[in-house]
Amino acid sequence: MSTLRARLDAMRPSQAGPTRTADPRPPDHFPSRGNYRSYLMFGLGSSLMLLVSANLLRVVKSLGDGERAFDALLESFAHPLYLGFHLLAFVWLSWVALHFFALFPKTQPFRIGPFKRPPDALLVTGLRALFLLSTLLVTALLLGVL
Amino acid sequence: MRALMLKLEPIIWGLFGGGMFVGALLLPAFVLVLGVLAPLGVVTLDTGALFALARHPLGRLVCLVTIALPLWAGAHQLRHIFLDFGGLRYDGFLGALLYLLALLGSALGIVAVWNL
Repeated sequence: MSTLRARLDAMRPSQAGPTRTADPRPPDHFPSRGNYRSYLMFGLGSSLMLLVSANLLRVVKSLGDGERAFDALLESFAHPLYLGFHLLAFVWLSWVALHFFALFPKTQPFRIGPFKRPPDALLVTGLRALFLLSTLLVTALLLGVL
Repeated sequence: MRALMLKLEPIIWGLFGGGMFVGALLLPAFVLVLGVLAPLGVVTLDTGALFALARHPLGRLVCLVTIALPLWAGAHQLRHIFLDFGGLRYDGFLGALLYLLALLGSALGIVAVWNL
């Protein structure tokens, strides 16, 4: 007894048609309204990490170059422009961190391995506590308290 | 170039995710102490202890990770901001440039940590 099989390409057009995909365009009111502002602030704040990390690279390099180079770099950081930048970076990066941790549960699957995902509030509170703890720990280590 | 970046996307995404986590957890404290409190004279840094801390193997690792990973996070975010503002046409060039900067910064980070 023979079996009938559907041909997968039976409905394929003989010629490729023109694409009907619309050109990409930003959503209405982008970027001035609603959540777009906060989205952009988050993106720009994360981009700020690029500059802050580059500055940290200078700090580590100066540590390798010796005490005099490190002191000179710290002295240059006392310039008002640097101070303003670092103050802005601290506030902005802290906001990005707290915002990032608030978004974190949404990126997680409902089951993590054999376990059910913890409640979102617990995850967010735990991550924010971790942020506070790590900030205190790094500060204490840099100040030589620990 | 865009095809290559698409192939490397899982690796870049991993570096971006790690960079966001490390940057969020560690960078604010570094900026606060080294960029604000110490230059203002609010706190006095024990330079000897700081040198010892940075030269410890774990300290070197933390320095490297705190330099390199947020560079990738920043590069990836900046690329996507360009895309949001209609930069699709230049994505191949800008994306490659940003990732090359992150790669160069990571390499310089390895050298700086090695020379500690």
